[in-house]
Amino acid sequence: MFSCFKGLNAFLYQIGLGLVLLAIALNASSDVLHLGNDGEPSTLDPHRYNLRLEETLLNDLFMGLTTFTAAGQIAPGAAESWTQSEDGKTWTFKLRTDGRWSDGEPVTASDFVYSMRRLLTPSTAASLAYFLYMIENAEAINRGELPPEALGVTAEDPLTLRIRLAYPYPYLLERLLYPTAFPVPRHVIERVGKAWTKAEHWVSNGAYKLAEWRPQAYVEMVANPFFHAPAPIKTVRHHALASEQSGYNRFRSGELAAIPSFPASELTNMQQDRPKELRLAPLLSIMYLVFNTQKPPFHDPRVRKALGLVIQQQTITQRVLRNGSQPSLSITPSLIRDYQPVPLPHADLSQANRVGKARDLLAQAGYNQDHPLRVTLKHVNSLEGKKINLAIAAMWRQLGVETTLAQSELRAHFADLRQGSFEVAWAGWVGENNPEHYLSLLRSDIGNVNYGRYRNSAFDDRMAAARRQADATSRGELLRQAEQIMVADYPVVPLYMLASRRLVNASLQGWQDNVRNMHQSRYLFWSDAP
Amino acid sequence: MAFQRNRATQPRLQALGLPMTLLCVILGAALLAPWASDWGLQDIDWEAIQAPPSSSHWFGTDMVGRDLFTRTMAGARTSILVALIATSISLLIGILWGATAGYAGGRIDLLMMRVVDLLYGLPFILIVILLVVLFGRQPYLLFASLGAIFWLDTARIVRGQALRLRQADFVQAARCQGYRHTYIIVHHLLPNMRGPLLVCTTLTLPAIMLAESFISFLGLGIAEPNTSWGTLIADGTQSMEAAPWMLFFPGTLLIGCIWCCNTVGDRLQNQVSEGSHSLGKSHLRTPTR
Amino acid sequence: MMMAVTLLAIITLVFGMLRLAPGGPFDGERDLPPEIEANLKAAYHLDEPIVSQYFRYLGNLIQGDLGPSFRHQDFRVNELIAAGLPTSALLGTLSLLLALSLGLSLGVFGGMNPGSTLDNALMGFANLSIAAPTIITAPLMVLVFSIFLSWFPAGGDGGLMHYILPSMALALPFAGAIARLVRAGVIECRLEPYIVTARAKGLPERRIVYRHILPIAILPVLSFLGPMAAALLTGSIVIEQVFDLPGIGRYFVQAALNRDYTLVMGMVLVYSTLIVLFNFLVDLAYAWLDPRLKGA
Repeated sequence: MFSCFKGLNAFLYQIGLGLVLLAIALNASSDVLHLGNDGEPSTLDPHRYNLRLEETLLNDLFMGLTTFTAAGQIAPGAAESWTQSEDGKTWTFKLRTDGRWSDGEPVTASDFVYSMRRLLTPSTAASLAYFLYMIENAEAINRGELPPEALGVTAEDPLTLRIRLAYPYPYLLERLLYPTAFPVPRHVIERVGKAWTKAEHWVSNGAYKLAEWRPQAYVEMVANPFFHAPAPIKTVRHHALASEQSGYNRFRSGELAAIPSFPASELTNMQQDRPKELRLAPLLSIMYLVFNTQKPPFHDPRVRKALGLVIQQQTITQRVLRNGSQPSLSITPSLIRDYQPVPLPHADLSQANRVGKARDLLAQAGYNQDHPLRVTLKHVNSLEGKKINLAIAAMWRQLGVETTLAQSELRAHFADLRQGSFEVAWAGWVGENNPEHYLSLLRSDIGNVNYGRYRNSAFDDRMAAARRQADATSRGELLRQAEQIMVADYPVVPLYMLASRRLVNASLQGWQDNVRNMHQSRYLFWSDAP
Repeated sequence: MAFQRNRATQPRLQALGLPMTLLCVILGAALLAPWASDWGLQDIDWEAIQAPPSSSHWFGTDMVGRDLFTRTMAGARTSILVALIATSISLLIGILWGATAGYAGGRIDLLMMRVVDLLYGLPFILIVILLVVLFGRQPYLLFASLGAIFWLDTARIVRGQALRLRQADFVQAARCQGYRHTYIIVHHLLPNMRGPLLVCTTLTLPAIMLAESFISFLGLGIAEPNTSWGTLIADGTQSMEAAPWMLFFPGTLLIGCIWCCNTVGDRLQNQVSEGSHSLGKSHLRTPTR
Repeated sequence: MMMAVTLLAIITLVFGMLRLAPGGPFDGERDLPPEIEANLKAAYHLDEPIVSQYFRYLGNLIQGDLGPSFRHQDFRVNELIAAGLPTSALLGTLSLLLALSLGLSLGVFGGMNPGSTLDNALMGFANLSIAAPTIITAPLMVLVFSIFLSWFPAGGDGGLMHYILPSMALALPFAGAIARLVRAGVIECRLEPYIVTARAKGLPERRIVYRHILPIAILPVLSFLGPMAAALLTGSIVIEQVFDLPGIGRYFVQAALNRDYTLVMGMVLVYSTLIVLFNFLVDLAYAWLDPRLKGA
């Protein structure tokens, strides 16, 4: 029996060795870049996408009017130049003369007109259609009140595209980076319909085109021969990872050249063992606590302020999370370009002062040891959510506050938030490089993404005034005034900014960390000397 | 009461030895832990977040700095409680179904056992997952749905026993005396299948513990701040390289507990089947993994 | 007939559960304006009454169409299952074979030499493997065999080599259970008069084991196979997640969380059909192997 096992073991070992050698041989001969992606994409239709992991794929497959460099800066994409009218409401884009679809057809301005109309047509059912609501008539078209032809996007000639906006929007170039503004191949969609996202019909205008899509396994792309700047790496396989742990394992066993994240608990190990491969970069985002301002006792600013005072952002990021996140005392991330965020009013107070002040505020609001404040804190059922909320509950306990933790799945959590069925909840926003994107979450007319139903007319007025400003600087000044008014009310307590925590093979060149945490494969190439 | 107890079907507890002792130790520790530890279930030690075992934290701490000994023992209480409640539910349904089928015999028996065979073929754990996902992670839902899966084996065993016993003299005698069927089942049949039932229980307990850990691994188990072995193990596997103690302690205890239950079950079964061969060996639990 | 009834029952049960549960397929992380949500619902016929949705589903099912997936918008459920089933089937078959071969050899060996040191060690191993849940063993195996020793790939599907570790992890507890069943069967069989007779006739030991002992000792294993197949399928949910295998098991929990109605239904349907079918095959095998059942 034993000898039999020995034999089996040796046999398996030989098979294993043989296959490993075979795999090495295959790897050497085929120039395939294996990348890890956060999961399985829902769709490769840029107008129906909804997730960041899809954005990664779509950025390789398509080219919008604008694009971004390896470092994350806005750069010309399918358009080589653009101009803006005096009032900031009309933009004119000049398309590249050598823009081509992957079947060789030229990319024209009318392709963009078709695509933007398609995005906003109700029957497309694009869940992110509102990304382009600043375009004239866009919202009405999406509601079905106007025909798609009424959209303020026109082709002046085959290479000139004009976009008219409903109101000045200085961040348009950035908004056009999102796949919602990508062109789709009209000539294919009109021929094959919904099946255009299948590999056999695939046509796109980016650096790569779809070669194979094996659900739950990978999306394989090959270089688009007609793209104006051919990509150095000809084949890229984006593997759909089941979990952070499995991606981490597959990176370490050499099967993947880069992974989007790894378990936070391994960060210290990676900083010591693989400093060259670790890519830890701040991410444009804000994680915060939101109070339901409609629900007593959280309609009382004193209660909100007391709870906000004792939260130690620094402790949360450095002791509890330890995943590279940066503490934030403002709802607008400090990473935003050309803007000075307004921190919470208590930012300068010492810890002891804060606790004393918080006790006083709670006492004024009628809470003490005999009549303790009871809070239900909602969080997402994830390791990170769990950690933060346990820590916050412990911080509130020093005020005598009794916290009940309620956790639910991501979907259920945000559904509850939108419906306002919560007391205090953890929320987050990964967004654009402008303050308005974050402050708008607190506008009373923004709808149910203002989860806590915060309403302050002085704040709303400043926000509305900012929207009318075409000039980015004066717009920023108004936004700052609005933020100043808002922070005094404590409708939210900012907690921290996320960090992207990637591992990238040291021989893979061209990879630059950026605040968008987005990386296009066309910038990557292998170096011979690692 | 005109029946004799079959001595061989009465288990001899003293022969169970080591595994039984271990089980008692685990159970005792779980129950006494709240007095043995200085830390509460939710207390955070800010100075020792994800710290290895030490004199102040015997099992180390978890990812937010909570004492792992306290939590592992609390997890033990939950896991054992879930297993006990779910087992009771499965026994209740199984006994009712099996005894009725076996005692009634004939066509009713055939039909009832056909239903059992049919249900055997269904992916019940999927239904449990669905229930927990769709209707939230309430503990009672977990108890009830796990109990509702595992009654099938019990029903088969009880039915076999009942078939045998209904021919026995004392049952026939009771029938002649005009006792009601329910009375006969409760007072004559059940006491005489105590041995097989005990075996069945000791084998259902670990199966349910395994099922609970499986569901917890998928992130669908007991919710914070309460915990169970499955939940602790799920957390442990997520940081098993940086903090192996988070997996080691709850993992060892779960495996140990299941091993003990299985061994006790086996030994009981050997004792029981020395006396009656009808029990057979069919009731090896389906591992749910 | 019985199979069809079982399947219809489970379809109805799961359909009802899905629709009664709170939440819907379009509760995304980001906000969805009501008009867009209405568009989406109409596109998937979710605006119709539940009863007509149910019959629409059954009608399509009879034509072999499991409907479009809500989450995987570019695929129909049929396509997803067709893409994932080979992976899951390979994993399941390999595990089954491993569990059987390992279990049988350990069991026969133990049963032929009961009480020996090796027998005790093997049974100790078998008991341990039964007690150790795959949620512990599978991640540990990756760590040891893929990361530390680099013998096997850590995950994903890239050929047979990627399946060895996962099927080992999945098969281990079943191998332990089978080993114990076979051992008990062999021990009981060994002293039967006809075996003693065979031995007295001077038949070689090998022949006695293969011809006379195994066919009888394997019977309890057969009745264990049905439930085992079901457990293998569900076990693959964890294994596919740990090893990043693109099988259908990975869909199940995610689909339920995402309220992907059609995909959940498809999954349950595939699993139930497989289990029912497998049990049927086991019954056939049973009748074939055990002559005593032939008359009955």
